[in-house]
Amino acid sequence: MSISIKGLNKHFGRYHALRDVDLAIPDGELVALLGPSGGGKTTLLRTIAGLESPDSGQILFEGRDAALQRPQERGVGFVFQHYALFRHMTVFENIAFGLRVKPKHERPSEEEIQSKVGELLKLIQLDWISDRYPDQLSGGQRQRVALARALAPKPRFLLLDEPFGALDTKVRKELRRWLRELHDELGMTSLFVTHDQDEALELADRVVVMMEGRVAQVGTPDEVYDRPATPEVFQFLGNVNLFHGRVAEGGFLHHAQATTGTDAALAFVRPHELEVERFASSDSSVPAVLTHAYALGPKVRLELRRKDNGSPMEAELTRDRYRNLGLVAGDSLWVTPTNLRVFCSDEDVVI
Amino acid sequence: MSRKLPGFGLSLGIVLFWLSAIVVVPLSALVGKSLSLPWDGWVAILLDARTLSAFRVSLLCSLAAATLNAVMGTVVAWILVRYEFPGKRILDAMVDMPFALPTAVAGITLTSLWSPHGWLGAPLAELGIRVAYTPLGIMLALAFVGLPFAVRTVQPVLEELPSEVEEAAGLLGADRLQTIRRVILPALRPAILAGFALSFARGLGEYGSVVFISGNLPGRTEIVPLLVMQRLEEFKAPQAAVLGVGMLALSFLFLLPANWLQSRLRRGR
Repeated sequence: MSISIKGLNKHFGRYHALRDVDLAIPDGELVALLGPSGGGKTTLLRTIAGLESPDSGQILFEGRDAALQRPQERGVGFVFQHYALFRHMTVFENIAFGLRVKPKHERPSEEEIQSKVGELLKLIQLDWISDRYPDQLSGGQRQRVALARALAPKPRFLLLDEPFGALDTKVRKELRRWLRELHDELGMTSLFVTHDQDEALELADRVVVMMEGRVAQVGTPDEVYDRPATPEVFQFLGNVNLFHGRVAEGGFLHHAQATTGTDAALAFVRPHELEVERFASSDSSVPAVLTHAYALGPKVRLELRRKDNGSPMEAELTRDRYRNLGLVAGDSLWVTPTNLRVFCSDEDVVI
Repeated sequence: MSRKLPGFGLSLGIVLFWLSAIVVVPLSALVGKSLSLPWDGWVAILLDARTLSAFRVSLLCSLAAATLNAVMGTVVAWILVRYEFPGKRILDAMVDMPFALPTAVAGITLTSLWSPHGWLGAPLAELGIRVAYTPLGIMLALAFVGLPFAVRTVQPVLEELPSEVEEAAGLLGADRLQTIRRVILPALRPAILAGFALSFARGLGEYGSVVFISGNLPGRTEIVPLLVMQRLEEFKAPQAAVLGVGMLALSFLFLLPANWLQSRLRRGR
């Protein structure tokens, strides 16, 4: 089911949680709402679910105004960050809940409930613990039960609030892959909130970056990562080095001599887009001192300090390159950006 | 389990000593005193029409008051936990008042309020409903002294119940009534039952607030604790002790199943 959001605003007292949010979510996509905490992601999700009512604006489900539908009628499957399972019910009864509370004429028979819940238990690979209580499950198991419970009444779309937030790294990775497979299998429009850019970039078809109550950017994971719309988005998506300078003659000058040219400009460079050498290779090379180096899996991260203005920089090398250079802390090096993303007041250029 | 938490021996010793001094010894003395009466003396006291009627009044009024408190206490706890409103802290503090007020003061106040000439009693008297000097009045007094138990047992459990659970139920298609019946009440049931049991036990033993409002009409509004007091005033301690033992047995009869049910409900979560 497609969801379209128009001019949504929401205040909590004097706090402006959603500011003119416009968003279109096509049918069948897995969409990540990504952003720092306090950015309005969860508020947007809860507003779509009908748990919060917007101050102004519209939410349309397949073109129909959602304001006319109560939360129960929206066909939302919602998965809470802390699961919100019913503690006095078994896993089986938790999942069956959405079927048992249906109005009489829609309610499935007991056999149908048994088989439907059985199917879902198989889907979440927990059919062997159907008679346990939530207190007796691990975090990952609880999250899967919460998901099965949300799926039971056949929702039209699925909303997940920080679904992996409370889990440890390994379980989180497994569940992420599992959720992706599940989504591909069911093809249900799904929206999940996360503050973890890896999670968003790895899992989603489309990423919606939210900051300070606004949609800062919408795009595929590649688009968002490679072409961030604003300096803030760039900084939020992973580590970044910042260069101050000016734009002149179609090029970015980040040296102190760049006194001519346009207004002040900002350039961002990701750590793996910095070339590290013993000697200057071009005009844009910057002298720096290596302060610290450490291995991160197959990569080595270098912490550097610029000689000209003392600001810190981060670079990332392969292990081979690091070994060939034979680097030691205190070495004098030249650093050359291979890919700059420049933001210059309102226009931006890639150089 | 081979490992024990440290300090078990010492703490168990302290507990046994304290319980003995505070509970077991006085109760044993009570039973001992009652045993100075022969068997037929027991029968004569306990099967006396006036005694039986007093037990009936005590039991029924306590049960009614505990039931009322279980319902109203849950509502009060609900309001205190779920809503923000001006004066909420004052209301919260007011719940404990029946604990603090001397019961005799409460009894006299209730009596003057609910008597046929009182503020609340007069309009009802015109409708033909009498509160003071009837079992209804006794029940009101017992509801007053037992209310804090019902509120204070449910309140913390309700605070622990995340509102997300209700939201989840709503999004799964449950209407408000289904959410209350299937999600909220089952989670509160052990606490409500505990509040009921405490309020009931308090009601059985209550004396001070009841004697004024009940009017103490033998066979109609006389409660067991009053009979006990009367025997004591007549210097008939063994007879009073027999009545006391009877009350003790009655409390156990009701509190044991309540506790058993409560632990079963707890385990069921």
